[in-house]
Amino acid sequence: MPREVVVAEGLTKVFDGFKAVDEVSFRVVEGEVFGFLGPNGAGKTTTINMLITLMKPTKGEAWINGYSVLKEPDKVRRSIGVVFQDSTVDRELTGWENMWIHGVTYKVPRDVLKRKIVDLLGFVELDKYAKTQVRNYSGGMVRRLEIARALLHEPEVLFLDEPTLGLDPQTRAKIWEYILELKRRTGMTIFLTTHYMDEAERLCDRVAIIDHGKILVVGSPEELKRMIGRDVVYVKAFDERSAKMLIGEVARRGLALSYASPSSNVVSFTVEDAHSFIPEVFEVSSRLGVHILEVKYSKPTLNDVFLHLTGRELRDESGSWMDFMRARMRRGFRRG
Amino acid sequence: MLDFNTVYIMAYRQIKRFFRARSRVIGSILNPVMWLIFFGLGWSSLFKAPMAKIMFYGLDYMSYLAPGVLMMTIFMSSFIGGVTVIWDKEFGYLKEVLVAPVSRTASIIGRALGETLTAMLQGVAILIAVLLIAPLLNPLGAPLALAVGLLVALSFTSMGITIASRMKSMEGFHMLVNLIMLPLVFLSGAIYPIDNMPLWMKGIAYVNPLTYGVDLARWLLTGVSQMDPVFDLTLLLVLTAVMIAIASYAFNKATIE
Repeated sequence: MPREVVVAEGLTKVFDGFKAVDEVSFRVVEGEVFGFLGPNGAGKTTTINMLITLMKPTKGEAWINGYSVLKEPDKVRRSIGVVFQDSTVDRELTGWENMWIHGVTYKVPRDVLKRKIVDLLGFVELDKYAKTQVRNYSGGMVRRLEIARALLHEPEVLFLDEPTLGLDPQTRAKIWEYILELKRRTGMTIFLTTHYMDEAERLCDRVAIIDHGKILVVGSPEELKRMIGRDVVYVKAFDERSAKMLIGEVARRGLALSYASPSSNVVSFTVEDAHSFIPEVFEVSSRLGVHILEVKYSKPTLNDVFLHLTGRELRDESGSWMDFMRARMRRGFRRG
Repeated sequence: MLDFNTVYIMAYRQIKRFFRARSRVIGSILNPVMWLIFFGLGWSSLFKAPMAKIMFYGLDYMSYLAPGVLMMTIFMSSFIGGVTVIWDKEFGYLKEVLVAPVSRTASIIGRALGETLTAMLQGVAILIAVLLIAPLLNPLGAPLALAVGLLVALSFTSMGITIASRMKSMEGFHMLVNLIMLPLVFLSGAIYPIDNMPLWMKGIAYVNPLTYGVDLARWLLTGVSQMDPVFDLTLLLVLTAVMIAIASYAFNKATIE
């Protein structure tokens, strides 16, 4: 039986009567990459803040590496490495100095520390920039430095809060590589949050889909996708009324496993086999006298899983420009 | 038991940061030199009359002003140093500190110590300038005056940290500087005596810790003081201890919520 490194039991956080996290329970075993997937404001960061002892849960309890976050916060802090959503490096200092201060703070012996800084900066390919002030780093370099720093004291579990938020696609791919490499090389237990479904699919052994502070479902990306069917067929009808008629008739005949409507005139059906379903949909539409404007089908993604669980889309699955700009505004431009 | 490892590394960080910000180093030394030259020389040419000497307890204005500017430099630098905790909040570094498995009291004392040491460096620079410009000062009192500066720096760094721990954003920073720093300088006897001020101003001056630091430093450098130097020192020691205690309490309470 593998060791459980993160255990949460009924974690709840209420802000002024608003339940940001609502009775969340889950377990992460040693060596696993476990992800929280959900839209902005779903309660992901609040959950992390409770797990890493920066916030007290209103109700519930959690254990990290066997230590209670409520009763043994110091032991919990010693067991974790954290990469926050917003950067937490000292921009006036160099990359090497940021690493050094972290290592001394965590009481890594000086000779070991010197060697590890070289190793880890090499791992995230920042060795050439070790003596450069962090204010001259790009967003991706800062994130890489933070990952290296979080690994310096060899934590039992690494927390990554939206590790690629606001990064351009090439940089995201690079960060993914490091995380996968880290998993392969050290078997590090990782807890991450993301609102990018491709990120969750790519990195996570198991995913918890979270919305409005509640976990809706937990499973491997494969299990979750299998849960809703083999294929997803999107049908764009002429208007909302014809979409409704289509849904009614398909449901009556039992042609699809489930359906959801991401926007008024679009329906996404999950089916056993798209090849036989598509002709059937056309048959239904011509019988009803309904115009179909567009049909496409694909294998289900985690976005479809989310859509079928909540009736809404996760959106911006691939680091959109809006996200990128928003994060840039928050970080870089603030000081002119 | 205080965690000296943490105290050391947090002090190390502040000192590194200080020397990284060259403009801050230069500015922090130029600013008081400007006061001495333009304010000090300007007024002292006016205060040549024998009557004026009585106002400044028998001192020429430059000698009166010099210990005041020394304390003012240390005060401003340490207070702003303490308030920079708000920068750490804004730029996220505070989270890195709060999530570390170390005592927050140790990390805040380390930070205060780092800021204090940088303020002292400026103090030494100004002291040298002061001894050159106001040659009537007693150089033997200089090391002790710096020791007084150390207490002033520790207490005002702590005050800055306390205030910053309670602030939510950086917006209040400039208001804070104008609303707290300038009155504390004016109401400390650093620039002019407090004896003849209106009663309400006098009241503030007497609860201002800087007043006692200035008075003590003036006694050490010129032999003139308005209060009993032992009283000054006792009060300063007590105030410093209280300020550090309050700062560590406020910082322990600091969360990210």
